Amino acid sequence: MSKEVKDVQKLENQQQLKWVGKSVKRIDGPAKVTGEQKYKTDFNYPNMVWGKVLRARYPFAKIKGIDTSKAEAHPDAVCVLTHKDIPGFNGFGIVTPDQPVLCEDVVRCTGDAVALVAAESLEAAEEAINLIEVDYEPLEPVTDAEAAMIQGAPQLHPDGNIHSHVTIVNGDIDKGFEEADFIFENTFYSPRQMHAFIETEGGWGKLEEDGSLTIQCPAQYGHRDKLQIARALALNPERIHVYSSPNGGGFGGKDEITVQIYLALLAQNTDGRPVKIHLSREESVIAGIKRHPFKVTVKTGAKKDGTLIANKVRAVADTGAYASLGGAVTALAIEHASGPYKIPNVDMEGFCVYTNNGIAGAFRGFGVNQVCVGIETHIDMLAEKTGLDPIEIRKKNAYLQGDRSSLGHVVSSSVGTIETLMEAEECDLWVNRELYKSQVSEPWKKRGVAAATSFHGVGMGIGTPDYGAATIELLKDGRFKVGVAIEEIGTGNGTVYAQVAAECLRCEVDNIAVIQGDTKETLDSGTISASRSTYTGGRAIATAAPNMITLLTEAAAEILNVSKSEIELADNKLIVAGDESQSVNYKQIYEKLYEQHRSMRVEGHFYLPREKKELKNSGGAPHHLYGYMTHVVMVEVDTLTGETDVLHVVAIPDVGKVLNPQGLEGQSEGGAVMGIGYTLYEDILIEEGYHKTKNFTDYIIPTIRETPIIETIPVESNEKSGPFGAKGIAEVVMIPIIPAIMAAIHDATGARINHLPATPERIYKAIQETKKQTLVSR
Amino acid sequence: MRVSEIDLVSPSSVDKCLYMLRDHDKTFRLLAGGTDAIVQMKDGKRIPDIWINIKNLTELRYIREEKEGIHIGPLTTHTDIVKSELLQKKADVLVGASMEVGAIQLQNMGTVGGNIGTASPAGDTIPALFVLDAQIELSSFNEKRTIPINEFFTGPGKTVQKQNEMITNIIIQPQSENEIGIFEKLGPRKAQSISIVNVAITLRMGSNPRECLEGKIAFGSVGPTIIRSKKCEKMLALGPLDDTAIQDIAGAAWKEVMPISDVRASAKYRRSMASALLERGLYRLMNRWDAR
Repeated sequence: MSKEVKDVQKLENQQQLKWVGKSVKRIDGPAKVTGEQKYKTDFNYPNMVWGKVLRARYPFAKIKGIDTSKAEAHPDAVCVLTHKDIPGFNGFGIVTPDQPVLCEDVVRCTGDAVALVAAESLEAAEEAINLIEVDYEPLEPVTDAEAAMIQGAPQLHPDGNIHSHVTIVNGDIDKGFEEADFIFENTFYSPRQMHAFIETEGGWGKLEEDGSLTIQCPAQYGHRDKLQIARALALNPERIHVYSSPNGGGFGGKDEITVQIYLALLAQNTDGRPVKIHLSREESVIAGIKRHPFKVTVKTGAKKDGTLIANKVRAVADTGAYASLGGAVTALAIEHASGPYKIPNVDMEGFCVYTNNGIAGAFRGFGVNQVCVGIETHIDMLAEKTGLDPIEIRKKNAYLQGDRSSLGHVVSSSVGTIETLMEAEECDLWVNRELYKSQVSEPWKKRGVAAATSFHGVGMGIGTPDYGAATIELLKDGRFKVGVAIEEIGTGNGTVYAQVAAECLRCEVDNIAVIQGDTKETLDSGTISASRSTYTGGRAIATAAPNMITLLTEAAAEILNVSKSEIELADNKLIVAGDESQSVNYKQIYEKLYEQHRSMRVEGHFYLPREKKELKNSGGAPHHLYGYMTHVVMVEVDTLTGETDVLHVVAIPDVGKVLNPQGLEGQSEGGAVMGIGYTLYEDILIEEGYHKTKNFTDYIIPTIRETPIIETIPVESNEKSGPFGAKGIAEVVMIPIIPAIMAAIHDATGARINHLPATPERIYKAIQETKKQTLVSR
Repeated sequence: MRVSEIDLVSPSSVDKCLYMLRDHDKTFRLLAGGTDAIVQMKDGKRIPDIWINIKNLTELRYIREEKEGIHIGPLTTHTDIVKSELLQKKADVLVGASMEVGAIQLQNMGTVGGNIGTASPAGDTIPALFVLDAQIELSSFNEKRTIPINEFFTGPGKTVQKQNEMITNIIIQPQSENEIGIFEKLGPRKAQSISIVNVAITLRMGSNPRECLEGKIAFGSVGPTIIRSKKCEKMLALGPLDDTAIQDIAGAAWKEVMPISDVRASAKYRRSMASALLERGLYRLMNRWDAR
């Protein structure tokens, strides 16, 4: 155990926690609710110009020529740029930079960018964009991931259409199925979910007088964006500063580069005038990344007593035209495809495949949403077959801390699955489910109650470096400025950072000023993704805090003229041990340090704990930390139409120690609603490479009328490595609700929907089919 | 023409508005709530030379009962209809339909005249106006004509309204004491959704249990325009509306509609849903009638 973790635990043991674990109000709450805090795309500047992107006309085509002369002749055009104007590398992508900044010889999806324009007004920019003439030779698009894998399919990239193939094998799968009393096999299809963040992609680029470049935009990892911009522009990254939107949402959709490189390119060609791009919702739908649609075939073997004995999974992920994080998504999916269980024999593989269907990338849940439905549905079917209780089956198969998981590795971090299941068994909705089910609102409606369990890794897998860093600076007025680069995009992580800092430094939360999403003032601390920001930022602050306390102690000792060992930290001051009359406050210390021209800024760095050995060919499994979760849900299905309401959700997360219960509830409720959207409503339909769903008219997300009662009951497994025992929350909260809703629909109607979203039409059809079956069996 | 260069004029009276519409050299669009017109403009569709802003013509915003029926001004918002005690009492089916238009924000902005003028096959108030035998008054500078609603629409987005005309009044037949109505909508979700299928039903009930003397049924979103379900209407009066009768009547609706497949639903599902919504609507109406 590292020194800082010991220090924090000491702190925790010695005293009552003052801030951690309390529902401290959002430090950015008033500015957000009054609208005082602006989205980056809300700003306008004098002397500004508008940027616009020309997107591909075809989902797959050769470019034979680009003629920009007419656009350049537009009286209001400031500049027109194509691939020829890219000073550096014409590509981007977090792992594999296979996406062109501006296409040169081929377009692979309708979201591809071909040219850029800056003009005096948005309308002029749109006119100029339409004057660019691109000579295309359309090719037959590849529209199905499995078809793309077949030999002879048109190749999208030089290395073929299979971007990655990962496998995890443990035990003897054939022997497992031989020993099984029951075998279930089903194929599941998942939707192309859209992040639907409130602030669409956009922002500002400006070439400063000193030649440096300023980018302001909604983003999830400014430090990495900086590097991707630098690569394309052949610029020193230190001359690029990224300031991220303090709100607007991301959910993974802004983890990859969106428009940052376009902004940078345009800014270099507008003579120092600030350039703005702001995608319309329609352009965001076409150009923005989406969740990978998966086809997952799962075969599960179990014994009569409910023991899961074998699980075979084959998942095919449609990553669209470019990789982005598709390889990592597929790997995480496979790592989680057998659930938080100890199934002795597993054989799982995943393919990440290129098609001409837009672009897929990171999205809250990161592949686990798509695969959790297989094992959970099969457990539900096993319960139905054997008459065993579905929660008991899960308890029987769940691994405990120290157990070997289905992957074959010993899980040494905290595991709360059983506790979440016990809480589920005892919750009112489960205990009284038969009563609630009988209380249908109209006779042709049917209710169902079901539970499901899942888990989600916290932080990056083994293959990706994962570190955290924070700075703490003593300010003139005795307050502290805490810098963590990890963006605040609506999650509330900044409030948690203030709590951790105030706890460690024994000051008031109000005396902490948190700086985030600013690459100039903060150290690289990784991305706001992978459920990692509470854990990473919190622990980075807890690592920096002892350094600040050392600095404060030294100064206090000098002021009070005693030795350092006699100084003790008290609330908002330092005292001579045992004599509170001799004290100095933080403002006095600032003055002392200022006089001496000493630095008042300390840093803290740490590396996230990880497993020692990577599972062969797994693409980064296992993780060291996982969050665990059980959802219990009640649905009501209108059997005449197939319309389904989720009426009640009980959300039971194990995310380690809860640092801010109100923040946790926010995440839990938001995750539940996003899970409802995934299961029942949301899908971006693409046919022959063209988007059929164009905007929010037909992209259906839940509104307040689709929002059920949501109870959140955390069980707190203390994670010893975490800041004050915390793990992560953001993703697992939307996962088990998906199979839980599917099972509840089955409980209500007898119909199973394996193709999500479970729209009224699909549910109606499935109910009709169960009726037909009944007729046949009679 | 750039959107920013389109003129917008705001006539101060209906007469002045009709006077402007006489000009044949320019294209005009009337801007009431703007909940359809602005969306279409953003899509680059039906962009006029001049917008005529009629939002402020308060003389066209009224609900009043007169001898030949209830008069509803075309600039009456959906919210006005929802809140009208007169309509709650004598046109519950229209109140129900107006409550299902988009969401509260759209109901506050959108107008009944606009809903008629847009002529979407999925427009929520239109089936209700069908079963209330609405008459649409069209005015031009020189004349006035009144069109029964079943003759008003000629296809999706198309009506008999001429370029120089505007809707100036909507007259509906009030429901009597023994008349009940309901609007049923199936959308992809409860709020902010475009109908996959909708249906408006009114029934005139007799003195015997569940005795229906006469009824009207109008489906939306299952054909190029609203479809009156004449066969089902005749079946309503064949006997008491018990559960079996309801199922039989609803089953017949399937045959009277001719929907298409689109991004929201397949034609097959829409057909089944015409029956389902009629069945659900009749169940709910009978429960209400039994409990009155």
